[in-house]
Amino acid sequence: MASVKDATAPNDRLRNDDIGLDRRLELFRLQVEIRDCEKRAFDLFLQNLIKGTSHLSIGQEAVAAGFGVAMRKGDKSFCTYRGHAHTLARGASMEGMLGELMLRDIGLMRGKGGSMHLTSVEHGVLGSYAIVGAHLPIACGSAWRAQYLGEKDVSVCFFGDGTTNIGAFHEALNFAAVWKLPVVFVCENNLYMEYTPISEVTAVKHPAADRAAAYGLERIVVDGNDADVVYRTALAALEMARDGGGPSLIECLTYRHSGHSRADPAKYRPPGELEEWLKRDPVVIYRERLRDFGVKQETIDAVEAESKRKVEAATEACKASPQAPVELLTADVYADGGWAWRN
Amino acid sequence: MTSTIIMPQLGETVAEGKVLAWFKSIGDEIREGDNLFEVETDKVTIEVQAVVAGRLSEIRVGPGATAKVGEVVAVIGGDLTTKAPVSTAAPVAKASQWRSPFEEVSTPTGRFGPAKGPNGIHLTPLARRLIAQGGLDLAGLATETQRRGERRIDGAAVRAAISARPATPTGPLPAPPPPLPVPECNVISLNAVRLRTAERLTENWRTIPHVFQAIEVDFTAVNRVRTSRKADFHATHGFSLTFLPFIARATCLAIAAYPHINARFDGKALTLSRDVNLGIAVDLNHNGLVVPVVRRAGELTAIGLANAIRRQTEKAKAGKLSADDLSEGTYSISNNGAFGTTFTAPIINAPQVGILSTDAIRLKPAVVSTHEGDFIAPRMIGMIGQSFDHRAFDGAYSAAFLSRLKQILETRNWNEEFPSDL
Amino acid sequence: MAELTYRDAVARGIAQEMERDERVVFLGEDIGKAGGVFKTTVGLYEKFGPRRVRDTPISEQAILGAAMGAAMTGLRPIAEIMFADFLAVCFDYVANEMSKLRYMSNGQFACPLVIRTGNGGGVRFGAQHSQAVENWTMMIPGVKVVAPSSPMDVIGLMAAAVRDPDPVIFHEHKALYAIKGEVPDGEIVDRLGTAKILRPGRDCTIVALALMVPRALAAAETLQHEHGVDAEVIDVRSLVPLDTQTILGSVAKTGRLFTVEENPRLCGWGAEIASIVADEAFWDLDGPIVRITTPHIPLPAADHLEDLALPSAARIVDTVRRVLNG
Repeated sequence: MASVKDATAPNDRLRNDDIGLDRRLELFRLQVEIRDCEKRAFDLFLQNLIKGTSHLSIGQEAVAAGFGVAMRKGDKSFCTYRGHAHTLARGASMEGMLGELMLRDIGLMRGKGGSMHLTSVEHGVLGSYAIVGAHLPIACGSAWRAQYLGEKDVSVCFFGDGTTNIGAFHEALNFAAVWKLPVVFVCENNLYMEYTPISEVTAVKHPAADRAAAYGLERIVVDGNDADVVYRTALAALEMARDGGGPSLIECLTYRHSGHSRADPAKYRPPGELEEWLKRDPVVIYRERLRDFGVKQETIDAVEAESKRKVEAATEACKASPQAPVELLTADVYADGGWAWRN
Repeated sequence: MTSTIIMPQLGETVAEGKVLAWFKSIGDEIREGDNLFEVETDKVTIEVQAVVAGRLSEIRVGPGATAKVGEVVAVIGGDLTTKAPVSTAAPVAKASQWRSPFEEVSTPTGRFGPAKGPNGIHLTPLARRLIAQGGLDLAGLATETQRRGERRIDGAAVRAAISARPATPTGPLPAPPPPLPVPECNVISLNAVRLRTAERLTENWRTIPHVFQAIEVDFTAVNRVRTSRKADFHATHGFSLTFLPFIARATCLAIAAYPHINARFDGKALTLSRDVNLGIAVDLNHNGLVVPVVRRAGELTAIGLANAIRRQTEKAKAGKLSADDLSEGTYSISNNGAFGTTFTAPIINAPQVGILSTDAIRLKPAVVSTHEGDFIAPRMIGMIGQSFDHRAFDGAYSAAFLSRLKQILETRNWNEEFPSDL
Repeated sequence: MAELTYRDAVARGIAQEMERDERVVFLGEDIGKAGGVFKTTVGLYEKFGPRRVRDTPISEQAILGAAMGAAMTGLRPIAEIMFADFLAVCFDYVANEMSKLRYMSNGQFACPLVIRTGNGGGVRFGAQHSQAVENWTMMIPGVKVVAPSSPMDVIGLMAAAVRDPDPVIFHEHKALYAIKGEVPDGEIVDRLGTAKILRPGRDCTIVALALMVPRALAAAETLQHEHGVDAEVIDVRSLVPLDTQTILGSVAKTGRLFTVEENPRLCGWGAEIASIVADEAFWDLDGPIVRITTPHIPLPAADHLEDLALPSAARIVDTVRRVLNG
């Protein structure tokens, strides 16, 4: 619990603060931990301890953190193959996440799914989806269930700018709007659809927000690198959905520091673009924000030190973990745990 | 509001209960008084009712699993998890996995003669099998077929030929073995296999203190099942169902209760083996002895054992045993019944600590106790013996094992080993 | 007992399950107020209301995706894909999503949903609305596939499908919607993974599915009365899980196998059964396994051409007779 002790002196900003120090420290902690964990994933990939492919969210932490703090336990989230940040932001453990990337038994799915399919039902992370756009209608289904059963959870669906041009995006938005479903669609516009600038392949400037009107929804574009902005926007959208006000579509402007996947050195970016965005690094912004609110340097340092410690501990635990036993090869194809297609 | 459902106290001395079945599923709306699950203790089986209402949100102890009294078995009113309940304590994959992922289809292992007969005549697979199983003469059949102007022998033709044959009488006693050819000179050198075997046998005889024990077993019940299943078995598998698979099966079951029998001894310590890798002694036409191993015999039914033993025996006779086939045996059976002997005291295969011997099983007069008194009746009787390493365990242990083996053979419901009739 | 059409049996099967379990919901295009384009769901909207029977836009991906999201989080949805050919439009959900969800998540999810769809030809709808596609769904690991041939099986297998915790694809046959059959009163629940021997016989085994079942039965009568061939006819009913034991047992008895498949030849469902039998029952075979199929072509709209393409009772008789005598 943060308290006045964590600030130097009471100031006007604290008094008028709608977010509160506790949540601010939480927003900071999440962004730092996501950043440190993703950077560790970067290293582990270079060491060939993470195999296959991996899509990092370095630079996009604020969206995951902002929504992660705004969402309640019981809310459902669905994300894409670039889902490490969203999985951590809902409370899944670092060793569960890194372990899954390393395809070890300690992983969230014991290595059965891999980086692109991170799932932790107990934390409300109802899957990471590798087929672009597939999870948007699925999130609608989860929202339909809440509406049908009178349950108060909201389904939040994260996707990238590239998703806005695929069929399932349009089907899902229309569907959610017509049925007035409690679902929040969050587009993380990091300006690039894989290797191509999104502007080159989209008929409108804001790939998500400029389509909202087509579905009778409000046009919302926000600074996706400011966790406070994301948090406030998220709260409003969640509240509206929870109260039966239907879906919303939120476009968060952000930028990814590395390539599309680990294999991509991102040479297609114009010179200077990365440097410009690095000035708007969400973690740097938020560190400053905390200092603006009078949080002591020790407190900030403590959070960052704890994050590094957690990442180290998680890495060691994952390296020590064996891979899953071979019986898992044929386990859980069907609900009875087996795979029998014949008698 | 979340409420937990616990394993209730079911009796003063009862410490745990096994959930037999759940009557409700995750997501079901529960009313007070609804039957939730059925639980079995060593004293009683009862149904447990709900004392609160709400939606069943989690099942922690599924069918087949056991919980201590007071342990949480389910949750009402919590967050709905769609996680399927763990249904047994065993690892998930084993419960419904029934074949290796690389054997989704079971290719039959039998081989039944050539697809083409003399003069290029074709045979259907069914014909080939029936000819081999019926012991028919292919050449004669081929000639007959050609005389009829046909180019193919099918199942109908073979069946017709079989029913046209006179029935062969079956004698009550096994035929005596053909006499060995009398050599011209009186010095017989041992071949390589026999030399190697001789060395091992000497070493085993010298180092292991052998003790032999035998027990008389009434095979009447086994024989009843064997005779009733014989024809079907032969039709399905292509060879005869003998007593050996039953004995092998009973041995595996008895070993489960007497694990020291299935162990390796290195002079100082007994290493119990989890798997039963059963060695079956195979005589190579009086010209050597090998003991191929049926691995994980404990996991096979009598039918499985029959097939596995058959496979290994065929491989042994064809000289096709690999190193794998001959290694890692944990217990052996020496089956001598074919020639009518009464009992045999075989030599143990180190580092095993025991070897079973079986001999002739035949009708003998025996005393049968009934409600009306004791009577003499003809029963199928056979001797089962065991040579054991007295360093590994004592006579009492060996005797108890043999006694259990006898009990299994005499009282087990052997029909259960066979698939139910279609 | 009552006589019911196959299409009325669909409505009855769905109603039976919706009455039993509040979590069963139903969505699709024109299924509610209109009672379905094939009139298979008449009365459900009136009985269960717009909350449980929902008409959707023309959005096959959204229909299957929403069914999946609802199933993952606690409901037991039935989704209609109007024509089975349209499964191609939303095949991502069958091939990549619902079938792999449980495996990839290491068992964290179950996906108890039913996709019911109008499959098959013989009704002159042309190439894109007449395909028999149960083989498309058979080949994806992780789903279950059934195709009933009678009104009673429609109800029983629908109940089994809804109660099954896995995704089940329920192929109804458009050309069977009008047929009638005896249906007992009360609740009917069948079992997935079970084939039925509809006509026992000794001379050969004929394995068929859906529309091909009545044709195989008709062919068997002709074979018996005009050619002295006593055919055993098996309705496969369930492709996944597959009742191989019934089929293998039958071939052990007869020694001859014929499949009657509406799929175009390549990779039809019968190819897999032929392979299994040729392997496991090799030593029971007294002759080659023969598949009687639609040729490997798109289907024409013209009725005389379509009738030629799909296996007819006459073609079945002719093929069996020729092969057995050859």
